[in-house]
Amino acid sequence: MSVLPIEAPARPVERAKPTGMGRILDREAPLAYLLMFPGLFILALFMAYPFGLGVYLSMTDKYVGFANYDFIGFDNFRYLFQDTIFQRTVRNTFVYSFFTVPFKLVLGMGLALVLNNHFHFSRFMRAGLLLPWIVPTAISSLAWLMLYDSVLSPFSILFKNWGLIDSNINFLGSQYNAMAALCLANVWRGVPFFAVSILAGLQAVPPDLHEAAALDGASAWRRFRDVTLPVIRNIVLISTLFSVIWTFADFQLVYVLTKGGPANSTHVFGTYAYQLMGFSDLGTAAAVSVSMFPILAVFAVVLLRYVRAED
Amino acid sequence: MVGSNTFRLRLLQLYLPLAFYAVFLLFPFAWMLIVSFKPANDLLDTTINPFLLYGFTFDHYRYLFEETDFLRWTLNTFIVTVGATILSLVCSILIGYALGRLRFRGGNTMGVIIFLAYLVPPTLLFIPLAQVVTRFNLYGEYWSLIFTYPTFLIPFAGWLLMGYFRTIPIELEQAAMVDGATRLRAMWTIIMPLALPGILSAGIFCFTLGWNEFLYALVFMSTGTMKTMPVGVVSDLIRADVLFYGSLMAAGILGSVPVAIAYSFFVDHYISGLTAGATKG
Amino acid sequence: MTDQRVDDLVREATRMRYSRRGIMKRASALGLSAAAANAAVIQSGKAAPKRGQAPSVRQNRTISILAGTYFVPEAQEFFDQQATEWGTQLGVTVQTDYINWPDIQARIAAAVEGGSGPDVIEMRDVWPNLYFENMVPVDDLANAVGESYGGYFDWVTSSVAVDGKWFSVPVGASSAAFAYRMSYFQEAGLADPKVFPATWDELFAIGANLKEMGKPLGQALGQSTGDPPGFAYAYMWANGAMEREEDGKTIAFNTPEFVEGMQKFVDAWPLAFDDTGLAWDDSANNRAFLSDQIAATINGSSIYIEAQKAKRGASTADYEVVVDPADIWHATLPAGPSGPFVQLGSWSYAAMTYSPEQEAALEFITWWTERDHFVPWLEAQQGYIIPMGPGLTDLEVFTGDPALAPYATVAEIARNKGYAGPADQKAAQVSSLYIITNTFAEAIQSGDAQAAIENGAAQLQRIYGR
Repeated sequence: MSVLPIEAPARPVERAKPTGMGRILDREAPLAYLLMFPGLFILALFMAYPFGLGVYLSMTDKYVGFANYDFIGFDNFRYLFQDTIFQRTVRNTFVYSFFTVPFKLVLGMGLALVLNNHFHFSRFMRAGLLLPWIVPTAISSLAWLMLYDSVLSPFSILFKNWGLIDSNINFLGSQYNAMAALCLANVWRGVPFFAVSILAGLQAVPPDLHEAAALDGASAWRRFRDVTLPVIRNIVLISTLFSVIWTFADFQLVYVLTKGGPANSTHVFGTYAYQLMGFSDLGTAAAVSVSMFPILAVFAVVLLRYVRAED
Repeated sequence: MVGSNTFRLRLLQLYLPLAFYAVFLLFPFAWMLIVSFKPANDLLDTTINPFLLYGFTFDHYRYLFEETDFLRWTLNTFIVTVGATILSLVCSILIGYALGRLRFRGGNTMGVIIFLAYLVPPTLLFIPLAQVVTRFNLYGEYWSLIFTYPTFLIPFAGWLLMGYFRTIPIELEQAAMVDGATRLRAMWTIIMPLALPGILSAGIFCFTLGWNEFLYALVFMSTGTMKTMPVGVVSDLIRADVLFYGSLMAAGILGSVPVAIAYSFFVDHYISGLTAGATKG
Repeated sequence: MTDQRVDDLVREATRMRYSRRGIMKRASALGLSAAAANAAVIQSGKAAPKRGQAPSVRQNRTISILAGTYFVPEAQEFFDQQATEWGTQLGVTVQTDYINWPDIQARIAAAVEGGSGPDVIEMRDVWPNLYFENMVPVDDLANAVGESYGGYFDWVTSSVAVDGKWFSVPVGASSAAFAYRMSYFQEAGLADPKVFPATWDELFAIGANLKEMGKPLGQALGQSTGDPPGFAYAYMWANGAMEREEDGKTIAFNTPEFVEGMQKFVDAWPLAFDDTGLAWDDSANNRAFLSDQIAATINGSSIYIEAQKAKRGASTADYEVVVDPADIWHATLPAGPSGPFVQLGSWSYAAMTYSPEQEAALEFITWWTERDHFVPWLEAQQGYIIPMGPGLTDLEVFTGDPALAPYATVAEIARNKGYAGPADQKAAQVSSLYIITNTFAEAIQSGDAQAAIENGAAQLQRIYGR
């Protein structure tokens, strides 16, 4: 959604009046900082400070509730790199993100194209199809938990009654099934976000351009590629960026469905950090969370560069 | 002939895909709805079709209202979410305006920093945050969440609004200032009304994220009746190793459908708020 | 003689800051006469305040108590009432909070790190070893409570006490036993339906028949804190392995007996168990049992209680009379070559050091663990919670229903996590990382018992050897 920042070209004004720019700069800077102050204050207090503390903790052997601890440099990270569960966690998180995001993107794009039509109750449908994104994840993941239930999954019961299968479907009990099940639930939750963002982009596509292209005999695919796609390109990239961030940092869904099991085979950063916290190992838990940050930052910077470069 | 062709095309391009999406996206809700009306005994009966209702009961809803503080939790969630949304919006509008319309040294860096703030995971923050919350004596108060939710709302909404403000022609403001209005006055009377769709989008976005939050709500505000809906529901309806699925799903329905209805009124504004930036692309 | 007891009581009352009523209660618990009790009250300066005089306890105090959501709702209500009753007497507002079990530790972590939160916390299992720096020492109180209930079981002491010191008062725990369907076991070849297979080998053999009947054994092996370790630790001990030796450092996990036992289990898994068990958490086996899909599983008494409730038609959970409680029986876990074992860790109540109301918090714990209040609470739990000492196991709630008998008697074969070492911080770490449970899950997934155990031993080495 926040395509906007990147998309907006530099203000024409400054280009138009280069001589006045210095003066404007002088006057605008104090105002800018004044305006930003309340937000920055809150962020500094409730975000920057705890974040700094968190980064510091990742370099200590701090345990929850113990007053004494030592600074141990990068030992926690060294420990993690040798930790097979952490290696697994990193792999899982990448699989989880880079497997689900393309699906979310394609399905979301399709949904946006469909919703861009006018039909009866289209407003109602638009809101309705946003539901997966609105309902509190803590509760919607319980609905998925029921659907995936090892013993009472409605699918298992139904298929057994129909004689299609003999035993319950093992949705969450083997590593591959569990990972696939998590991905499906994640795609489900993420599609509406892509759909709404892209729908916003689609509404900006000038209809006359489409008609002109159609008159020229361009196929539907070519019209999509040459007319629609350039307009929504940035919105797609930014939505992808946000989706990757959310998926990377996902916690709730995995926590409710598998808690990282079976046998640690579905841990992602969030659940592994939380599990380490379970026995109070704050230092290592913080290290797990912190190690996610540079990966995301690199990804974000690369993508944002790419978006800007094409402007 | 032509008519049937168009219909077939419409069927293929619109109704079939729409049906697919409706089934895929709404299926879990249909399931929640079914479970919330299903008599307790039927859930364990493996001989019947689980997707059909062989009996019908309001017990799960009644339980929610009579045996738990569901209404209070919903009220709490509402207060916290609205409070955090307003606070975040005010801050984000100011930040968005400053970054989007004012030229100053360090502006770009500031924008990037605020964006990066969005990447910090709550699983890292919640323990250090606990110290801050305690220091300010906010523990167990609405304020604990109203002040902590903005940490993930401001970066997002600030960015969204920064882009939106950039799409509003600067000439409008300049004209007003030439006419003698101060910048703040021009901002308030000229720019704000124009930015309303963007602000609405950001507001809806904040509201949704706040409504869904779980971890901060769990650790900073879960004493007595001061619980948010997701926390209260999970705490009261999962008893040791027994899950009260019927009531859990009823809570899910009650907790999301009103929001969805509200969305249906706003959804077009919401989308148009997001659209403005795209036209400039 | 009597004077000595009054003096003791007065000293205790001063130390623990008993209220007037608290002294009376304690006096009657000690079997003192009314006169002696009165003497104690007067000596400790807690005689009824004169009109207009401030009561002996400060007013306008509030304490909050954090506990896991009760399995038995009536017991939770009962505890609420008790807290209110105590609070009304002392002019203290008491607030009770119950949250989902897996979420408790996140709350505690935030509370102790932030320095504010619940004044009294229900600690589970080995948690006192994690948070003791933030818990008020209660040696005298814990010892007094222990004494009054015939001492604590070993598994209670070893899981709650920290290096021999008490920071919380044990109250017992939910217990573990096999819940099984008599009719199915009989059909599968068990001679006397009330005599469960005595060894794991026999159980696996019958399990194969049961699975052929479509009613396999059910074992939860997901990443969950209750039933999966309930099995895994017990089976490990029964097959001649431990996490470590008594020195706390030497790993005793990778033993030939255990490899053999694990191989037996891995072989039995597809033949006798429900295959989806790797995904089961604490609640899945309840659902499997109560929806008539399995013949037996290790669990607390919640399955039986739910089935009874359903039969009475009073069920509020999603269970009905699919399974007749009359067909359910319980048995202690079977034996392996080294004998039968069960893993238990006691719950306990702690007053937190960050609390501005430590005195009131301790006062409450003292009051509540008195026989007059604790026993009714235990009874309200319908046998779900077994007591912390042998002095309470003969209560009617434990002996009244023969079907539930094993839950109270398993205490005798119980060991703590971290055995043969103490249930220390490292044992808690092993437990939170599910290392023992996951060794089983890995063995099943790979089919290679030896490799899974070696891997598990290596992980144990990393933690205990550190």
